[in-house]
Order: sequence, then structure tokens, then C-alpha cells
Amino acid sequence: MTNLEKYTNAFVEALNVKASEVEDLAYQSISEWDSVGHMALMATLEEVFDIMLDTEDVLAFSSFKKGKEILTKYNVKF
Amino acid sequence: MITEHEISRCEAAVLNMRRNILRLACQAGNSGAHISPALSIVEIMAVLYLKILKLNKSEPAWPLRDRFLLSKGHGSLGLYVALHEAGVISEEALNTFEVNGGFFPGQPSKNLSLGIEYSGGSLGLGLSYGVGIALAAKLNKENFMVYVLMGDGEVNEGTVMEGAMFAKHNKLSNLTAIIDRNNMQSDGLCDDILDIDMKALWEGFGWEVITCNGHDIRSVMEAFLQKSTTAPKVIIANTTKGKGVKFMENSKDWHHGRLTDELYRKAICALGDQ
Amino acid sequence: MKVERTSIRMLSILGQRGAFGYALTEKAKENDRIIALTADLCTTSGLDRFKSAYPERVVNVGIAEQNMIGIAAGMSTLGYIPFATTFANFACLRACEQMRHFMGYMQENIKIVGFGGGFAMGMFGITHYAIEDIAAIRSISNIVILSPSDCLETAKATIAALQFKGPVYLRLTGVMNHPIVYKEDYEFRIGKAILLKEGRDIAIIATGGMVHQSLQAMKYLEEQGASCKVVNMHTIKPIDKEAICDSLDSKLIVTVEEHSIVGGLGSSVAEVLSELKVKPPHLAIGVSSEYKRAGSYEFMLEQYALTADRIAIKILDKYKEIL
Repeated sequence: MTNLEKYTNAFVEALNVKASEVEDLAYQSISEWDSVGHMALMATLEEVFDIMLDTEDVLAFSSFKKGKEILTKYNVKF
Repeated sequence: MITEHEISRCEAAVLNMRRNILRLACQAGNSGAHISPALSIVEIMAVLYLKILKLNKSEPAWPLRDRFLLSKGHGSLGLYVALHEAGVISEEALNTFEVNGGFFPGQPSKNLSLGIEYSGGSLGLGLSYGVGIALAAKLNKENFMVYVLMGDGEVNEGTVMEGAMFAKHNKLSNLTAIIDRNNMQSDGLCDDILDIDMKALWEGFGWEVITCNGHDIRSVMEAFLQKSTTAPKVIIANTTKGKGVKFMENSKDWHHGRLTDELYRKAICALGDQ
Repeated sequence: MKVERTSIRMLSILGQRGAFGYALTEKAKENDRIIALTADLCTTSGLDRFKSAYPERVVNVGIAEQNMIGIAAGMSTLGYIPFATTFANFACLRACEQMRHFMGYMQENIKIVGFGGGFAMGMFGITHYAIEDIAAIRSISNIVILSPSDCLETAKATIAALQFKGPVYLRLTGVMNHPIVYKEDYEFRIGKAILLKEGRDIAIIATGGMVHQSLQAMKYLEEQGASCKVVNMHTIKPIDKEAICDSLDSKLIVTVEEHSIVGGLGSSVAEVLSELKVKPPHLAIGVSSEYKRAGSYEFMLEQYALTADRIAIKILDKYKEIL
């Protein structure tokens, strides 16, 4: 699986959405992506990429697109 | 609807209740009792317990009963004699007023089997509790009323305002507060300590305000029977502290006092003269 | 919720407040008696999912903590199970009398959740720190006091509080990305402290966020040759006397709390020890000085020497002194 596929799958699992819907997703843009959904997503991404996110990055992770930028800091290349 | 029979029944009860208050205060001996704060609420209590409150004497904790909370706990004698008058407690039980370790202390302790809904004594706390019950009843769609009796001095407490704001905002029309407006608190006249425009205050909080003569049975009954639409209701009952015993009326000395045998006889005579 | 690595991690990122809100929302699915009360802090109390799922079961009293507790008590008389939430300091000091009256005296079945225990509120400053709350509430009869060490424990404590018939004060500490103490599922019982690590020489009894700090401090101490025991005292009241007595053969008993050393965990342990004829010395670590100028949570812990390294140094100094 490519990193992009892993990344997309994390959203699908944590937020209960379809792979085709993830591109434009942002925090609070759907009811599942509330504070609890957000933490579930963070935990899933950590598990999938074997990383530990800083609190600042958890808070800055505001959308699918922004998330990709943040993950590059953790050596995840897309 | 108010009948003449109901009025005369209450008027007779009121005399009996005042006699009992004085008798129990005398029996309390050295512990003393809060006498005049009980005397000022007798008509209110008689009307509540003999006409207004939906109760089941044989099942005091019946879930759909109306709740009465004596937030001004120092009016305890007024509550106890009303419970007795309504047949909720026996004469024998009533006579254990202020017995050490007993169930009828100077300020009431919650005991549903005895019809006591709330532990009064710390002023300003009862309204919140009543608000909580009224809110829960509304959520449950249960059709009973909640009555909270407060002193006018008690309204000094900020927590009363907290409860008032919440009740109005949440449209608790199943809640009625009664203010024993005797214009006295422990240190003297309310107007001298914290001068509050009681009517304007509650109107300002958005409650439906009704004033009545707190010692006229018909006036009190009419106040209770006046329906409110969505707002909680407050009855400002104009009363006299120590009502019924001339030497106690409007006197600071009888907020809490010891009634010797001699003073008791004097008080009973004064009551008879009314 | 299935207890596994991702869910434990999810709860830890949420922090104790969020973990409480999560647990309450899960339980609310099967229990329609749960009511969440807030004093104008719904958005900051981890209750946003609860609110969107069960808006009719959230009661916002506005900025009126004392009223909130009275309302919770009144609601409980009709069979509701209210969880009244606010900052720990305001619940326990501002509304102390209401807690005494409705929980201690009238024993109504209500749960108070105080968040921001210790210095968690950081730059909000001294008014929002809770360092005397346990002392105030511990002195009142009939109130169970729970102080979870991490976010999984917070969820378990929330459920335990829900199931317990009687008044409970649940004290939450720490911030988001809360350190994990429990990496897998375990049994949580009110009043039963948990031995996290066995050791002969020094017994460290800690609570709340200080459990994690104590576990880190222990590593340093063991490098210095002292064998340490670490006990998670998640229930401050009723205190687990047996767990304390199990440590009597240590050379030193240490208590660690993010709270004043007056009246909290340390005092509670000292009270148990004071009745005994033979006992080891007791070092109480906590807040023991004046109100210091505000800073971030991490900064405040350093200011009060409540970080693992400073805790270890204090313990080591005392240990050397008594040897």
C-alpha cells in the first residue's frame, strides 16, 4: 500500500467516510470529525505510520490536505 | 375555585397551628426555637397543606406528589405543625420537636417518610434544588408542582438569583416560589440592611409576580390559584413576623428565643385576643 | 469501547477531560438517566459530542456553579444521574457548601467532575488552579473522591462513578496528549489502589498525573540502587488503608500529588500512619509553597518541583538521610 492509500484508509476507518469523500474533508466539516473523531483519526494515523504526533501538530491538523503537510515532518512522504 | 368551607377550615387550622407552635417552642426549653419566623408563615402553610398541595397522606413519598421545600429552614415549626394539621404526621411525632437526635430538629432534615422534602437551614440553597426537581419533572413530562418558600432576607443570597434566572430561561411554569415578606431579618428591618424592591427584582428576572396579604386566607388562596403560562411564579406574601402574638410581632427578639412557662401563657393569651 | 492500543492512544490525545466526555457519551447510549450539567463550559469540558448526540440531556446553568449543584441534586430525586462539570477549584471552593449540603449531608446521587486539577489550566492562571480542592472535599463525609492517573483510567472512573450509588467527586488533571500509564485493560475498583510496580526500599504512593511522574522518577532511583514500589492511589476517599499498610516494611514512604501537602493524599496517608506504633518515615511531595506566578502547565510543574527528575532528587535526598 502506498502512503497515500494508508493515509486515506485512516480517514475512512476513523471517520466512517468513503475514500472518495476524503479529499475536501476538514475538521468539523462533517459531524464525525468532531473533537473525539479528531483524536480517533490522530491515534489511527500514529498507529499506521508508527509515529507520535506533537500536541501542536494534533491541533494544527485541520484538514485532509493540511494533514499531508504535517506528516512530512515525520518523514512520511506522499 | 374557593369555597367558604375551605376558608373557614383553614382559619380554624391556623389558630390551632399557632397554638401548637407556641406549645412546642415552650417544650423545647433551653434549646429555644425560631418562633416568629414560623408564626409569619402559618396562613401560607395552612393553605398549601389543606388546599393546594396534591399529596397522598398514606404514601408520603408518592412519586407524583407536589413538592414543598422549606428553603427558609428556620420556619421549621410552621412546616411541622402543617404536616400534623394535614394528617401526614401524628401528634406523637410532632411532640418530638427538638428532642436530641430526633427527626424534627430546629431546622428540618430531609425525610420523605415524614413528608419533609428538603434539609433547610442554609439560606439560599433551596431554590436551586426546587429548580432541579421542576426541570426533571418537565423532562419526565410529569405533572406535579414544586413550591419553594423563602424568607425575604434569604433573597440577599446570590444563589437565589442564579436559580431565578435559570428557572425563567427554562420556562419552569411548574415552579412557584413564595417569599415570606415580613420585612425583617435577623439584625432588623430588611429595608435597613439591604433595601430591595422585591416586586421589581423578580419582575426583572422575568417571573410572574403576584402579591397577596399573607395573613388573609382568601388572598393567599387566590394567589396560589392564579395560573401562570410559561414563566415561573413568585408569590410575595406580605406578612408580619411573629403574627398572632402581639409582643412578638415585628420584634427582633423573637427570631429565635426561649419561651418560658410564663411567657408561653402570656403568648397564648395574646393569641386568644386576636 | 474496545480497549486496545489505538483507543488508549485516542483517549490520551484527548486528555482526561475529553476521555470523561467520551466515556459519558458511550454510556449515555444505554442509559437515558445520565444528565450532563455545565456552568457555561460545555465547549471546554469534553462534552461536545455528548451535546450533539443528546442535546436534551445537557443542562447549561450559565456561570453559576453553586446553582448547578443544587439543580443536579434536585434532578437526582427523580432518578436522573447528573454529572455536574466545571473547574475543580470552582466546584470545590466556590460551591464547597453546596457539595457539603447536597452530597455530604443530603447524600444525593450526584457526581461532580472537576477538571483542571492541579496546574492543568496553565496560563489561565492561579484563579483556575486547583490545589486545595481535595483537602476541602476530603473533610466532608459521604463523598467518594476519585483521581485517575491517565485517560483510560478516567474513562473507567467515569463508569465507576456512574455505577456507584452515592455522591462522587471526580478530579481530572493534565492536558491533551496525557501520558499513558495503562497500556492494556485492567480492573478498576473504587477504593482499591493498584500496585504498578513492586519494590523493597521505597514505596511511592501517587495520584492523578503524578503517577506517571512517579513511574519516571522510579527509573532514576533504581539506577541509584534503590528498589522502588509505585502505587496508584486512584481513590483518595475512601483511602485504601491496606495498600498503605502493605508498604510498612519499606524504609521510606513517599506520597506525590499535584495538590497542597496539607489536606490531600499526603495528609490522608499520614493519618493512617499516625495510628501505628511502628512505621517508616513519610515524605509528602506536593505543593508546599506560596502561589507562584503563572505559566504553562509544564512550567508550573517545574516551578513546584513536581517533575520526575525533581521528585526523584527529593526522594533520594530523604532516602540517604534516613539510611
